[in-house]
Amino acid sequence: MEKYLEQISQAVVEGDRDSAVEYVQVALDANLDASAILQEGLILAMNEVGRLFEEGEYFVPEMLISARAMKSGLELIKPLLVGGDIRPVGKIALGTVKGDLHDIGKNLVGIMLEGSGFEIYDLGTDVSPEKFVEVIQANEIDLIGLSALLTTTMPMMKTTIQAIQNAGLRSQVKIIIGGAPITQEFADKIGADGFAPDASQATRLAVELIG
Amino acid sequence: MKPRERVETALNHEMPDRCPMQISFTPEFAERLYRDMQMKGSSIHNPHGGGNTYELERVLGEDMLLTSVGWANSYYMDDKDYVDEWGIGWGIQPYETPFGVGHYTEIIGHPLADSDAISGYKPPDPNRPELYSSSKQMIGDYKDEYWIVGVTVTTIFETAWALRGYEQMMVDMAIDPDLANHILDIPYNYHLTAAKELVKLGVDMIWIGDDIGTQNQMLISPKMWREFLKPRMANFISEIKSINPDLKVAYHTDGKIDPIIPELIEIGLDVLNPIQPASMDPAQIKKDFGDRLCFWGTIDEQHTLPFGNPSDVEAEVRHRLKTVGKDGGLVLAPTHHVQLDTPLENFWAMVNTITSTQYSSL
Repeated sequence: MEKYLEQISQAVVEGDRDSAVEYVQVALDANLDASAILQEGLILAMNEVGRLFEEGEYFVPEMLISARAMKSGLELIKPLLVGGDIRPVGKIALGTVKGDLHDIGKNLVGIMLEGSGFEIYDLGTDVSPEKFVEVIQANEIDLIGLSALLTTTMPMMKTTIQAIQNAGLRSQVKIIIGGAPITQEFADKIGADGFAPDASQATRLAVELIG
Repeated sequence: MKPRERVETALNHEMPDRCPMQISFTPEFAERLYRDMQMKGSSIHNPHGGGNTYELERVLGEDMLLTSVGWANSYYMDDKDYVDEWGIGWGIQPYETPFGVGHYTEIIGHPLADSDAISGYKPPDPNRPELYSSSKQMIGDYKDEYWIVGVTVTTIFETAWALRGYEQMMVDMAIDPDLANHILDIPYNYHLTAAKELVKLGVDMIWIGDDIGTQNQMLISPKMWREFLKPRMANFISEIKSINPDLKVAYHTDGKIDPIIPELIEIGLDVLNPIQPASMDPAQIKKDFGDRLCFWGTIDEQHTLPFGNPSDVEAEVRHRLKTVGKDGGLVLAPTHHVQLDTPLENFWAMVNTITSTQYSSL
């Protein structure tokens, strides 16, 4: 059993999508539990990808191809997870704030959070404060991640947090922020619950806050 | 000192009377500046220097003037959504600042997103004489007085990803090097032709650029950079310098890229731009590489200019002059086009501190 999981994990770490799919199928054919494949294969692999990224061995392209491999493997086991006793670690809604179309950072955060077992609602870019409020109300979201690349759209993070507050939802969700010009000082100033400088650290922060 | 002498001296690693200055603006900041100076703006301002009138640059006392040929001229081309001649789609993205509403033009459509489109793709022709008419005109008008920069930024990687899609281009580089090389060659060939033509027309410096740094590390690994970008940049620099051996070459990349600076020097780079202070400490970079490399930029557009106050800006300019400006080798500039969220007091603190501080007074 361990051999199967190791093969899956290695394929994901190496960003080898075809092998990841093949080994997940082999594991399923050998009657391995879908939740074991998820926890000890895919999630473990993405943790390793995060470690390699933080240590400066992996960069964005490597992370992207590992994510593709992880997602393809996940697609195979998803139908088997539904209805089982596997629950996501938490529900997270992510978006780049209104006025800003930049999404690579937000996408990497989404990849790493998904790879840690969170359920992700990716709201895309140019997301209005109203949209965040609506999604929190409709989906029992535990954590919101706001992204901005530009100094001109950073203030929209504050506006978004205020909108969540005004809707009476602030106590229900944790809010974390990130993006090139963002600092811990700014996060404190606008009343966010946290800031992380990269996708890997954002995942650790999310685990700390709601995991 | 004439502006061009000032730049020439600095890039020769000597100290001019004062530090040379270069500043570009987003179109809306340029409009605000026109109003502030009670000038009448005559055309849409292109921050990359394509078709500009250079009124603002000259009134402010800038020392380098920019003229651009290449895909970067597709930025700020219209005030409604458009598709440029490369087939790349652009959307208009409004944003609000305390000083009014601004608009960015953002890339939203990638003509090579579908792999089937790649083999039949025909890029625009860089040999059309009309592409160079405004450069020719401005070189004739201003070269006696100013240091002229031929701009061919977004040289290789940035235009390639705009054609293919940002994430897909990086995936291609990781899993399909032949395809990636094919796509990277499209803008590379175009901009090399443009740069050679600009050198023949008499520009003093060619400015190439591709953003390969993120805020706190490189976007792609040094290894991947060595595989895909370094050989192309090396050849680009060598070909344009063979036309004019006195030509200087500057390279723009945002973010933190210090692991590859020694190799940029090795392939003939003269000037690095913009050295974002939140990503790399300009004083340390100067200490490590200042004997072989000049610097252009260093004034923080992420924090000090938009969110600091005039004395923060003045202090930052003076700090740079004392550290990075030591023994010349520096052209001060904001690390990006000045954005609409910048208070005019901060802008003027930057301009006035640069233009009124003699190196001898420090």
